[in-house]
Amino acid sequence: MNAAGTLRWARAGLPGLLVLIALAAGLATLAIVAVRGHPPASQAQQVQQIAAGLHCPICKDLSVADSPAPLAQQMRQEIAQKLRAGESADQIRAGFVAAYGDSVLMSPPRQGVAGVVYYVPLLVLAAGLITAVTLLRRWLRAPRPEPPGAGSPQLSATQRRAVARAVARLREEEPG
Amino acid sequence: MGQLGTYLLLFGLAVSGYGLLAAAVGAKTGRPALVESARRCAFGLLATVAAANATMLAALLTNDFAIRYVADNSARETPTFFKALSLWAADDGSLLLWNLILAGYIAAVALRFRRDRPPTFPYALSVLFTVQVFYLILINGPARPFASLANPPADGRGPAPLLQNHPLMAVHPPFLYLGFIGFTVPFAFGIAALLAGQGSDQWVSLIRRWTLVVWCFLTVGLLLGALWSYSVLGWGGYWAWDPVENVALLPWLMSTAFLHSVMLQERRGMARLWNIALVIGAFSLMTFGTFLTRGNVLSSVHAFAQTSVGPAYLAFLALVLLAGFGLVAWRLPTLRTPASLTSAISREGAFVANNVLLLAATAIILLGTTFPLVVEAVSGQQVTIGGPYFRTSVTPVLLLILLLAGTAPLLPWRATNRSRALRRLRVPAAAAALVMIATASAGVHQVAAVAGFGLATLVFVTSGQEILSVLAIGRRGVRGGAVGALVRGRRRHAGLVRGRRRHAGLVVHMGLALVAAGITASSSLGQQTQVTLKTGQSTVFGGQVLRYQGLHTDQQPQRIVLTTTVSVTNPGGGTAGTLNPRMNLYPAATEPIGSPSIRRGIVWDLYASVISLQRGGGSATFRFYRNPGVNWLWFGGLVMALGGAAAAWPGRRRRGAGDNRGASAAHERTAVEVGAL
Amino acid sequence: MTRQMTRRRTRLLAGVVAVVAVIVALLTTGLGKDPSVIASPLVGRAAPNFTLPQLDGPPVTLSKLRGQVVVINFWASWCTECQVEQAALDQTWRQFQDSGVVMVGVNFEDSTGAARDYIRTDNVTYPVVEDTNSRTALAYGLRGVPETFVVSQTGRIVNRVIGPVDAATLTSEINSMLASA
Repeated sequence: MNAAGTLRWARAGLPGLLVLIALAAGLATLAIVAVRGHPPASQAQQVQQIAAGLHCPICKDLSVADSPAPLAQQMRQEIAQKLRAGESADQIRAGFVAAYGDSVLMSPPRQGVAGVVYYVPLLVLAAGLITAVTLLRRWLRAPRPEPPGAGSPQLSATQRRAVARAVARLREEEPG
Repeated sequence: MGQLGTYLLLFGLAVSGYGLLAAAVGAKTGRPALVESARRCAFGLLATVAAANATMLAALLTNDFAIRYVADNSARETPTFFKALSLWAADDGSLLLWNLILAGYIAAVALRFRRDRPPTFPYALSVLFTVQVFYLILINGPARPFASLANPPADGRGPAPLLQNHPLMAVHPPFLYLGFIGFTVPFAFGIAALLAGQGSDQWVSLIRRWTLVVWCFLTVGLLLGALWSYSVLGWGGYWAWDPVENVALLPWLMSTAFLHSVMLQERRGMARLWNIALVIGAFSLMTFGTFLTRGNVLSSVHAFAQTSVGPAYLAFLALVLLAGFGLVAWRLPTLRTPASLTSAISREGAFVANNVLLLAATAIILLGTTFPLVVEAVSGQQVTIGGPYFRTSVTPVLLLILLLAGTAPLLPWRATNRSRALRRLRVPAAAAALVMIATASAGVHQVAAVAGFGLATLVFVTSGQEILSVLAIGRRGVRGGAVGALVRGRRRHAGLVRGRRRHAGLVVHMGLALVAAGITASSSLGQQTQVTLKTGQSTVFGGQVLRYQGLHTDQQPQRIVLTTTVSVTNPGGGTAGTLNPRMNLYPAATEPIGSPSIRRGIVWDLYASVISLQRGGGSATFRFYRNPGVNWLWFGGLVMALGGAAAAWPGRRRRGAGDNRGASAAHERTAVEVGAL
Repeated sequence: MTRQMTRRRTRLLAGVVAVVAVIVALLTTGLGKDPSVIASPLVGRAAPNFTLPQLDGPPVTLSKLRGQVVVINFWASWCTECQVEQAALDQTWRQFQDSGVVMVGVNFEDSTGAARDYIRTDNVTYPVVEDTNSRTALAYGLRGVPETFVVSQTGRIVNRVIGPVDAATLTSEINSMLASA
């Protein structure tokens, strides 16, 4: 490759390099954040975390952490008391499930029929990916429409003007 | 008045029945006179249904408690404003509004096509009348709002306390209904296109703009619902992943997918049948949502307590699904368009990815919402699937959508000139990386939050860069630069008006970036605390001193309002105002309804709600929240809706192309095929 | 259209019909049930013990009542449906109070003054206790008031009623337990 060609290649490669660096920096940051983890939770925060996983029994939709209802408030006090008594989060949750049933948990238990719901997002994305790949491959394999060669009919003057107008408009809408 | 209302609704049913038959027979036998009479019926129908609504409004305002609906939902002490709003406060009444908006849309279609019509018009009209007939049967049968009481009470029960607490009740349902019901029109034209066997491009240019307008209404309606949840319900949040909220989001996601893949059809002639299927899907999801809300199947904050209409909605849903997707399956072999692609990394590939991700989000939310039903049907177990599940499963998909929105506008059609796309990605990618490093350094510990901020930045900078670059092109060769080009408004100025659709789309993306940043900030950086304060006592929260100053009682005709005053002082000593969270005691409610007090700011809100009072107001239990980014959410949503409206705005007529937008689309495609681009 | 296309079309149509049928069947099962009624896991299990102070009197401990049938009724003075069932509860109490049956009213999220007024007005004679921090209500999986639990002589919960309970249900339950003792 001569000097001009190398320069052209470098200029074309440079933006790609910058984007690559930015991408690597972003991914590295995410990795660091993931490894760094969460700061240790105070007891109040632990109560909130457990409460956020419990469904307020007298509300619709709200967790025990979010609900302003008095019963939810008392549940939070009960959770705090049980934490101070040394119970683990799992034990506290099990205690409420024993009284209210599985529906007091904001997310269903992982065992049994209900646990299938945890696989749904992955399955949906996999199905979508397979569909997209199949579709794209079919389109990629399809024969391209040939540009009009010598044998194709000539455009009339009106058609040529219409084409020029359309091209001009498209050029304006999509710079580059 | 009840009699008048009943007769009006019956008459409306007869008119729409006639319209249905006339349009259907006219379509089948090719008799334009019949079709024209059906078209004219639409106006009579609108007048009739509007009169029925007016009758109910009059009954509410004049306290006609002989009508059961008025006795159940209004009272003498209810303020006039909320008496009027009671029209859509409960199931039967809201069906009146539903029928009115539907009749309005049919009349709009009839008006729009008073002269030139596509050949699918008669079929579409008969489908529209069919849907109207269903909802009129409902309102004349199981859900009669004008049903009368044998012994009218002296006073009514009044509206549900939560529904007379805030003026947002005036706008949230109407906008939402405008958004939902509007999908009937694209659906009708889609069915018509399938019935007539045409997958022509004319269908697309007709329907794209209509769906866009409906999308704008739905965006505003959903925003208002979130605003209601935040400003009225007092739990500090704006989205509870309630089943009804979830199903309201689904048509929005699917129509967003449609608005993108429709460009595939316009530019490349691809995905014709897919677009019709998307429109049918959006309408089906809307019908399913109506069934879920009114059929008492899942427990929800929004559920109307009517059980007799459930089977009717289910039957209608089954009909819609069978007719819609049955026709798609019927036409699939014959209407498939041959399409080709140069490369997957192109605008076309990006639109495929867009549809996959949006539909994946739709499927995840739909399946998660209905899963408790499945589990109970299979094993009898009762489970809850709430916010935590949806947040963890949908967040990755939404982050991928943001990534796509930030890169796809740079990708060229047909994958020509990709190095240019890389060049234009430099600044956005750098900005995104910098923001991510900054947020991580500032101590944000959730990975999704750091990613969210970074990707929102990517989308914002990409969209902004693209809009500015077109201004730069406009500057070339025009005196006075970009502003001069705008002022002169000549055809030569390029970009801003001609590329209106692209710019409006980019503006919508910028709004999306703001919304994403707002959601990320409020879900990950919020703080809250609960304290009980005696009068005069204070607490420190978020660096500010909050002091409970006292309680004020206000006796109103329909409720007692207990207003607390909390003073807010900055660390330096300067006052930052007061918060006045309230408790409203309604005679009909066993528990008081709280109203939060919010000090809104550009970056964060200080939010207060009072959850209980002790010793006659001597002490009060408060919940204080610091919610960052919530106002970006409202503002960004508004930007999205306005951008959509700008994209839908009718442009100047192109000289020579006439009214036949389909033909100009064909010209564009010819140009592309010829290889000019 | 080729025969292959017709076959394909028929298969697709059959698929659509099958999927719609499954959806409709699933949603129909949902129609039959009331979504706000949730089954209690406590029925058939040992009743959680409690020691609660009476409004006027010594504390009541559930385990000390073993050997008798216990009817636990959660109520509140602000609850309108509780007033509906008060007559049935009084009647049942008068009928069985000397037959080895104890009725206990547990006051839920209420003020002592309002509770006392209610007792006085309705002339309730069975013991009424206060559950100030709702520990007992939470242990019994309470979702609202009124809720009534019928506990056997061995301390097992045999039934839970949501909403106002009627005298006939209570009487038949108590009779069957007294007979099998």
